Amino acid sequence: MSSPDTPVRAPSGEPPTGQAPRHWWRPELVLALVVLALGVLVIVGTLNVSAAASQLGIGPRFFPTLVGGAMIVVGVFYVIDVLRGGQGDPEESEDVDAGAPADWRSVALVSGIFLAFVTVLNVVGWIIGSALLFFGLSVVLGAGHKVRAAVVGVVLGLVTYLLFVKGLGVTLPAGWLRGVL
Amino acid sequence: MDSLQLLIDGFGAALTPVNLLYALVGVTLGTLVGVLPGIGPAMTVALLLPITFTVPPASAFIMFAGIYYGGMYGGSTTSILLNTPGESSSMITALEGNKMARRGRAAQALATAAIGSFVAGTIATALLVVAAPAVVAFAISFGPEDYFALAILAFTAVSAVLSRSLVRGLASLGLGLVIGLIGIDQQTGQARLTMGIPQLLDGIDVVIVAVGLFALGEALYVASRLRHSTPEVVPVGRAWMGRSDWARSWKPWLRGTALGFPFGALPGGGAEIPTFLSYAAEKRLARGTAREEYGKGAIEGVAGPEAANNASAAGTLVPLLTLGLPTSATAAILLAAFQQYGLQPGPQLFDHNPALVWGMIASLFIGNTMLLVLNLPLAPLWARVLRIPRPYLYAGIVVFAALGVYALNGTVVDLVVLYVLGLLGFAMRRFGLPVAPAVIGMILGPMAEIQLRRALAIGAGDVTVLVKSPVAVVLLLLALGALLTPLVRKLAVRRELAPTVIHEED
Repeated sequence: MSSPDTPVRAPSGEPPTGQAPRHWWRPELVLALVVLALGVLVIVGTLNVSAAASQLGIGPRFFPTLVGGAMIVVGVFYVIDVLRGGQGDPEESEDVDAGAPADWRSVALVSGIFLAFVTVLNVVGWIIGSALLFFGLSVVLGAGHKVRAAVVGVVLGLVTYLLFVKGLGVTLPAGWLRGVL
Repeated sequence: MDSLQLLIDGFGAALTPVNLLYALVGVTLGTLVGVLPGIGPAMTVALLLPITFTVPPASAFIMFAGIYYGGMYGGSTTSILLNTPGESSSMITALEGNKMARRGRAAQALATAAIGSFVAGTIATALLVVAAPAVVAFAISFGPEDYFALAILAFTAVSAVLSRSLVRGLASLGLGLVIGLIGIDQQTGQARLTMGIPQLLDGIDVVIVAVGLFALGEALYVASRLRHSTPEVVPVGRAWMGRSDWARSWKPWLRGTALGFPFGALPGGGAEIPTFLSYAAEKRLARGTAREEYGKGAIEGVAGPEAANNASAAGTLVPLLTLGLPTSATAAILLAAFQQYGLQPGPQLFDHNPALVWGMIASLFIGNTMLLVLNLPLAPLWARVLRIPRPYLYAGIVVFAALGVYALNGTVVDLVVLYVLGLLGFAMRRFGLPVAPAVIGMILGPMAEIQLRRALAIGAGDVTVLVKSPVAVVLLLLALGALLTPLVRKLAVRRELAPTVIHEED
């Protein structure tokens, strides 16, 4: 017979976060601490906002203090909940294998490629930048046919540039191809 | 009848060739992103915001309305043919719908979903026409304290309902509220929480928040746990259904509509609860063949929930248009779209911009009809869209996310902010924090602050003005109720469990 506490929490049969013997450390603790820290940050960060005391009613510091205070309370409860072993349902999605262990290498590569794109975008321009971004991401995410991924990337970069810049008047950087198109 | 005349005028505005084209573009885009995993209507409208800035507001909202309804149709196609639904509102459809598809009845499942969505969408939009003026007449006397109470109710209801864990819903809401605080205070011009970065003075644009939390967050999450097997899509021809399917479908459609509309109109109601209730109701009412088929692919289990899903989408528009109160992530983005055009949804909008509001409502009827025409014969096409290789799909989503965000101000600083918000979206998905409360908090937070300060200014600093009006008191009590619901539910489960334990030990 199971203890009456277990079914209250997890009716949907979710995977246990850690097979290891119960330990107080869980990755979710970081997020809970971020929530708590943000609450403190909001209050501290708005301390220097000078409240116009002459004004009727309340100044620009009142609402942030309210939000910050609420965040601290929620953050404390969140930390306690995580420490006591509570967990939410990881979001379900079409292409996500919720039971699989996290593939941190892919996450790091996707992050690196995106940040590299951000760094070089203004120099190389949208067409080259977005083609490289598409190619890099699709390979990291498991595209088998590299040549096809490259071709799709170049076509996507060209088509979006022509459609959005020439057709819809959106501003995108031309970069190295300035004057060519 | 006054609103009937206004609606006819609205049809006049919506039925111009240009606006019909916008409606068609809207429903096609909406269906496409509804079918595709990884993106939804909220993010699509957000991405279109910077591009539609030059489009007249009436046309833009006709297109957004098409995307909004189209997304619902597309979602049902995915859940029937793929069995791994993305939007939680179409999760229920997959239960019976995918089993029908596997038994070779995919065409009938798609048909009853599409026709049911059309029937429910049309009836629910008609209910919107009736309900909206009534709510406007009631809300016209609302003071700032009432609007503040309304915002509090929306915050608590959304946080409490969307997640099984109240603390995670509230944490998500808080994250959104903090993001909404960044930038110059609208009343005094003081900079808050900008950390000295000049680009943050105008605040973080809702486009970046929505695209970061939804698109980039999803792409990172998928990267972390990609399903490596290729998805199995059930092949399908033109969607159609026979006489017995009609006979079995029409009552579930009507019952689903009756459940969906009121839940959609409630803060925090959403589509999840009514679709589930409809599924349960049809299961209980099933007789004969339906009873035998339930659990193996009964058409009633598709017809009812799909109707409820669409009716709730129309219901969501009641508080959005009449009170300026978003109750879902997509509604929050639509609210931001109104604000981009300098419009504030609420009773005044019906007074000042009747052409825009009624044109949008009329276009909901038009879009619904277009969707029916688009979905029945084109089902095989949408099924093919589902087969796009996932690496290309998610790489493409990130490219469009970057495009939309860069197009806002033409600065890479926005792209860095986008990445940070993408990481946040990733963490929220991984740890089961619902995203919608954050989006609603970010958009509704600044409005709640303005109403609060207005109310307190009127009361000359006396806090009791917040509970002076009976409307505000009722709304705040409801908000408290929403916060207590999860606790009550937990206690109820515990109490229910206790006798079973004893029983089993007998």
